[in-house]
Amino acid sequence: MAGRWMDLGMFNAHGVPGADALGAAIEHMVTGIASPVDTDRGLSARLRYLTKTDAGYEAMDRAGIHVSPRTLMAWLAEERTPNKANRSRLDAAYWDLRRRNVATDLKHRLNNDGRGTRVEINPVDQSGVERRHQRDVASRSIKVRGVWDRAVDAWLDEDLAELDAIWDQIIVDIGSEYDAYSNVSSIGWAA
Amino acid sequence: MSQESSVEALLEEARLNASMPSPAERQRLREAANLSRAQVAAAVGVGRTTVANWETGHSEPTPPGRLEYLKLLKGLAEIYPAIPAAAPEPTADPVAALFTETPTPTPTPAVSAPSAFTGLQTLRGLDGRAIEGDPGPCIRCGVTTTYQSTDGRPLHSGALCQPAGPATAASPAPAQPSAPAPALVSPTPVPVPGRPERRARSAAQAQEETTGLISRAVHAELTRAGGDWDVALKALIKRAIPDVMHLFNETRATARYDYTAYPALPDILKKPSKKDPDQIWEARPRFHHPGYSLRAPGDIKVTALDVNAAYLSALKCWLPIGRLEHSTGTDGVESKRSGVHLITPAPWVHPHLPDPIGDRDEPGALWVTNSTLRLLQRLSGPKYALTDAPVIHESWTSGATENFLDALRKTLSAARETALNEDDTLTLEYVKAMYSKFISTMGESIHNREMVRPDWMHIIHSQAYANLWGKAYKAHQAGLEVISMMGTDELHVTGDWRDVFPEGRGVAQMKIKHGDAKASGEYTVGKVTS
Repeated sequence: MAGRWMDLGMFNAHGVPGADALGAAIEHMVTGIASPVDTDRGLSARLRYLTKTDAGYEAMDRAGIHVSPRTLMAWLAEERTPNKANRSRLDAAYWDLRRRNVATDLKHRLNNDGRGTRVEINPVDQSGVERRHQRDVASRSIKVRGVWDRAVDAWLDEDLAELDAIWDQIIVDIGSEYDAYSNVSSIGWAA
Repeated sequence: MSQESSVEALLEEARLNASMPSPAERQRLREAANLSRAQVAAAVGVGRTTVANWETGHSEPTPPGRLEYLKLLKGLAEIYPAIPAAAPEPTADPVAALFTETPTPTPTPAVSAPSAFTGLQTLRGLDGRAIEGDPGPCIRCGVTTTYQSTDGRPLHSGALCQPAGPATAASPAPAQPSAPAPALVSPTPVPVPGRPERRARSAAQAQEETTGLISRAVHAELTRAGGDWDVALKALIKRAIPDVMHLFNETRATARYDYTAYPALPDILKKPSKKDPDQIWEARPRFHHPGYSLRAPGDIKVTALDVNAAYLSALKCWLPIGRLEHSTGTDGVESKRSGVHLITPAPWVHPHLPDPIGDRDEPGALWVTNSTLRLLQRLSGPKYALTDAPVIHESWTSGATENFLDALRKTLSAARETALNEDDTLTLEYVKAMYSKFISTMGESIHNREMVRPDWMHIIHSQAYANLWGKAYKAHQAGLEVISMMGTDELHVTGDWRDVFPEGRGVAQMKIKHGDAKASGEYTVGKVTS
């Protein structure tokens, strides 16, 4: 993390590291099956999504679902329902695969044909900070270009160090007071 | 068809074509004959919208229907000839009049001078400069001058001076032209020339531009759909969200405040899952008067009324600009702040009036929006004194303004009103889709990622319900009985409601609500006896 932030919350400011906010904001763009895995509808939709392609079987492998083909067929035919542990593994496998599949689309939307995306950065919440320690930090809105491929890959790999490096690269564009945005209360964009 | 007659027909068409009136004149002729667009459209054999486009100048008359339309216009023009435009009076345009008084050697003075002086010219030398002579009283104004007229009498250079009073009085009648000047009969007073209204004009221009966005979108989709109304409507509704966001950003172009589009939300505003609501109580009304029933015998006439464009009017409300901040007690409650508040409302003791908190079953504290809180505080004030003030426990608020969406509201209402006047259902539906989708997607929605402000959505919703409560109260004060109040815009009352509310489709008017339900339009109820 760049800058002179030593201890967030020492003076009672509230916020999160910019890398976390970046990951959360990318995560927010992912949509998928809305029904929870505990419903018949949600379960069968996940099973169908996971059994359509080889990548689906790999995702199930990664999530730790090791069942016989017979059991899987029984789940698909709704003759048997997976137990609670396997249901949550199916859910994890579904979202894992879903994230991988939408990553290309996310990169495309965020790069916006090279034009990039305008990001609104809201500074940390200082309402709990004593008056004399409060600093005048405004909301900023900057156009971010050229880092989105790396950012989406880092989000996919849950590579916080890389996300942190990307966030530092983003806020440097703000100018001399970029330091103040190492931690933020929220960020957002329309893409 | 012989060769000659087809040539004749072409010639006739060309003749009509040459005398085609302007779009405004087309509309004037139709209105002079008291014909509706639908009548003209049926006679000519085209759609009503097409006639409207011809009259507004969006498109030029094309076959089929072109020849018929030209014939109709020619016939109408013979019956209702155009009134010749009034000759421009020198003083008709005060701003122009100001500028004609600049010291250029203009032969006509800006103010109408007695005819005796109008022929006077300044005596000039060969180089074109005015020649000075012995000083003497000017024959126009009487003030001493060294300049002369061509006949040797003293006259101010360029004859630009104001004629003196006695000179005008000396020649009374000939100053007035025989026909009365149009400026005298005009009912609209000529505005007093002051400073040029630069600001107002640019505002009007901006208004014109934003309104133009709406009409251009409608026109573009109608053209793309080849005049197919349903296809155009579907396309318009599809683009309503990006269009309204663009319109919103246009109205924000010169705005004073920069709002936060993606604030960190408190937990009470977060939806636990996609389908579950957050914790805000919007005070949606579902009121039925306990003393009346559809099943009880009786013949008390009830009218179901409908508020027009309730959500459009509700855009005028106090909206928090920045991120909501937490405060306890009544600290966050100020006139210039808005947000959501945790309150315990006082019990409502008027069974014949809807509860402003809505149809709440469970007792205790609840999160309400600032719109509801303002209504409750008004009702506990000395003017109404209907209830006790609510107890406020904590608040999430931010600095607020009531004018935040006002420019957008005004633009959309103006477009709506124009569409109503012109009977333009397409624009009406488009405007409706714009404001309703703007409100419903301004929270968390995958259809509109330009902002995440669920607090605004809740505040606007409850503002609409508060406005409806105001209407119910008005009816009640006028002696009508409020039978039910439901949803956003439904109000059922007994008695003669037309004395209380104006009828129509404007935003300040009410209309009768028709529908499939048993309690719609005009129906009867009986008194419950217990």
